[in-house]
Amino acid sequence: MIEAQLLNGVALGSILALVALGLTIIFGLLGFVNFAHGGLFAVGAYAGWLAYTRYDSYLLGILAALGVTFAVGIVIERLLIRLYYRRPKEDQILVTFGLGIVLVEIVRALFTGQNKLVPTPPWASGAVQLADLVYPQYRLDVVGIVAVTLVVVWAIIFKTRLGLIVRAGIDDALIVEMLGIDIGRAFMLVFALGACVAGLAGFVDAPILALTPDVGTAVLVQSLVVIVIGGVGSFGGAIVGGIVAGEIISLTSVFAPDWAQVALYIAMALVLLVRPQGLLGVVGRA
Amino acid sequence: MILGPVGDRTGWKVEGAVALFLVVFPSLLGLFGAGTDLGTRILILGLFGIGVDLIFGFTGLLSFGQAAFYGTGGFVTANLLIRHIVPSTLGALAIGTLVAALAGAFVGSLALRQVGIYFAMLTLAFGQLFYFLENSPLRAFTGSENGLPGVPKPVFALGPWTLDATTSIGMYAFVAAIYFGGFFIARRIVRSPFGAVLRAIRENPERASAVGHQVPRYKLVAFTLAAAYGGLAGGLLGIFQGYMPPEAFSIDQSGEIIVMTVIGGPGTLIGPLVGAGVWTLLRQGLQNVDAIAGIWKLILGLVFIVLITGFRRGLAGGAIAFWARLRAAR
Repeated sequence: MIEAQLLNGVALGSILALVALGLTIIFGLLGFVNFAHGGLFAVGAYAGWLAYTRYDSYLLGILAALGVTFAVGIVIERLLIRLYYRRPKEDQILVTFGLGIVLVEIVRALFTGQNKLVPTPPWASGAVQLADLVYPQYRLDVVGIVAVTLVVVWAIIFKTRLGLIVRAGIDDALIVEMLGIDIGRAFMLVFALGACVAGLAGFVDAPILALTPDVGTAVLVQSLVVIVIGGVGSFGGAIVGGIVAGEIISLTSVFAPDWAQVALYIAMALVLLVRPQGLLGVVGRA
Repeated sequence: MILGPVGDRTGWKVEGAVALFLVVFPSLLGLFGAGTDLGTRILILGLFGIGVDLIFGFTGLLSFGQAAFYGTGGFVTANLLIRHIVPSTLGALAIGTLVAALAGAFVGSLALRQVGIYFAMLTLAFGQLFYFLENSPLRAFTGSENGLPGVPKPVFALGPWTLDATTSIGMYAFVAAIYFGGFFIARRIVRSPFGAVLRAIRENPERASAVGHQVPRYKLVAFTLAAAYGGLAGGLLGIFQGYMPPEAFSIDQSGEIIVMTVIGGPGTLIGPLVGAGVWTLLRQGLQNVDAIAGIWKLILGLVFIVLITGFRRGLAGGAIAFWARLRAAR
C-alpha cells in the first residue's frame, strides 16, 4: 500500500517537475518569475491537441506544441518582457500575470471554454502490472519523456554557447556586451526556451488532465510550489521539488485525504520561511 | 506623492466628492441601463480593494493571497448570521472583520519576513492554504463547494425611518454607508504620519529603516488593516448575495482584485473602486454585444498590460495627475 503510494508520488512528481521546468529555466537564467507560465502551458496544450487530433500523430502534436509556444515566447519577449528586465520584481510579476490572462483568454476565444478530450496515444493506452499495483502505461511513459526533456534542456544550458553566454550575462551583462555579444538575443532565446518547455508540458499532460483554457491557473500555482520547494532556478531543484511535492500529496492522501493539498502549501510556506532559496537553491539568485 | 502628502490642502473636498458620487451612482448606472445591484457589487469590491491599495499602492507590497481574508471575513460573518449566534448584522460584520484581521496578522507576521517575489509567493501559498482548508477540512463550517446559502439581510430602524436592506436600493445604501466609512478611515490613515511612513517604505525601505522607523511593524499593521478591509468586504458580499460563495477564497479572486486596483490606480484609495467599476461594467456591457461577448476578459487583460507598462498610475491616478496639472497651469 505504502509502496504503491510512493510510486504514485514519483509519477505525479515527474509530471509536476515537467510542469515546473519551464518556469525554473526562466527564473534561474533571467531572474524573472514568469506568471504567464500557466498561459503558455495552455497554449502548448491546445496547439498540440489540434495537430495531434487532426493528423493523428503524437509526434506532430509535440512539434506543434514546441513550435507554437517557442514563437509565442519570442514575440512576447520582444514586445514586452524586454522592457521589464530592469523594472521592479513587482512589475515583472504583474505584467506576466496580465500576459497569462491574455493568453488564456485568446485560447478561450479560439477554442471555447468546453472541455477537450485528449486521447492517450495508442502505444501507451494500456496498463502495467507493477508488483501488486496496476498502473496506467501513459503515466510511466511521461516519466520517460520528462527524463529526456531534462537531459536536452540541461545540455542546452550547460553545454552550448548560448547557455554559456546567458550564464555569463547573469554574472555581468556589461562585460559580456563589451565582448561584442548580443546579450539581448540570448535572453530572448532563453525566454522562448522556457516558453516552449511549458508548452511541451501542456501537451504531454493533456491526456491526463481535462483540458480547459484555465488549466493554466492550477498549473502556475503547482509550478510555483515545485520551484519553491526544490530551489528557485535550480535545475535539480525542479526534479527534487516535483518529487517531494508528489510524495506529499500522495502520502497525505493515504492518511488524511482532506489535508493533502493543505499539507502541500504548508510545506511551501515552511520552505519559504526557513530556507527561501529552496532545498537545492543557491543563495543570492533572483 | 499621489493624492497629497501629509498636510495637503484638499481639506474635506475628496470625502465630499466621494459622498456625492455614492448618492448619484445608482442613477448613473440607471442611465446605462444597469441595475442598482451592480453598483452594490462594485462598492464591495472597491472596499476590498482599499485594503489592497493600502499594502500595494501605499506600502509597495504585492500580495497574491488577499482572497484568504475576503473569504475568512465572509464565512465567519455568514456563519454567525445563519446560525443566529450573533443577532445583529453589524455585530457579525464586526466579528468577521476582526477574525480576518487576526488571520492577516498571523499570515503577515510570517509572510513579511520575506520581500519581493518571495513575499508574493508566500502570500500565494497562504492564499491556497486557506482555500484548501475551506474546501476540505472545514467543510462543515463552509459548505465546501456549495458555499453557504441563506445569509439573512438586515432591516435597520433609524429613528423614524427604516433602512430595509432586503430591497436593492436599501442594500445599496447600507453598503454605500459602510464603503464611505471605510474610505474615510483609509484616507485618515494615509494622510497621517503613519501613512507617510508607509509611503517612505514603498519608495525606499532601507532609508525608512535608517531614519529609525520600525519598518517590519509598519508593514505588519498595514497588512493587518488590509486583511480587515478584505474581511469586511467579504462579510458584505455574503449578506448582499444572501449566499457566501466558496470562490471568495480562490486565487482568481486574489488576482482579480490586484488587476482592479492596478487598472483603477494604485495609491489613490479610490482607484480600486474605479477598477472594479470598469471590470464589472465592461463584463456586463460586452456580454450584451454578441460579437465580442466572449472576449471581455481578453480586453481587460490587454488594458492591464498597457497600464502596467506605460501608465503605472492607472485610470484614477492619471485623472488626478491631469487635474493637478490643469490647476497648476491656471
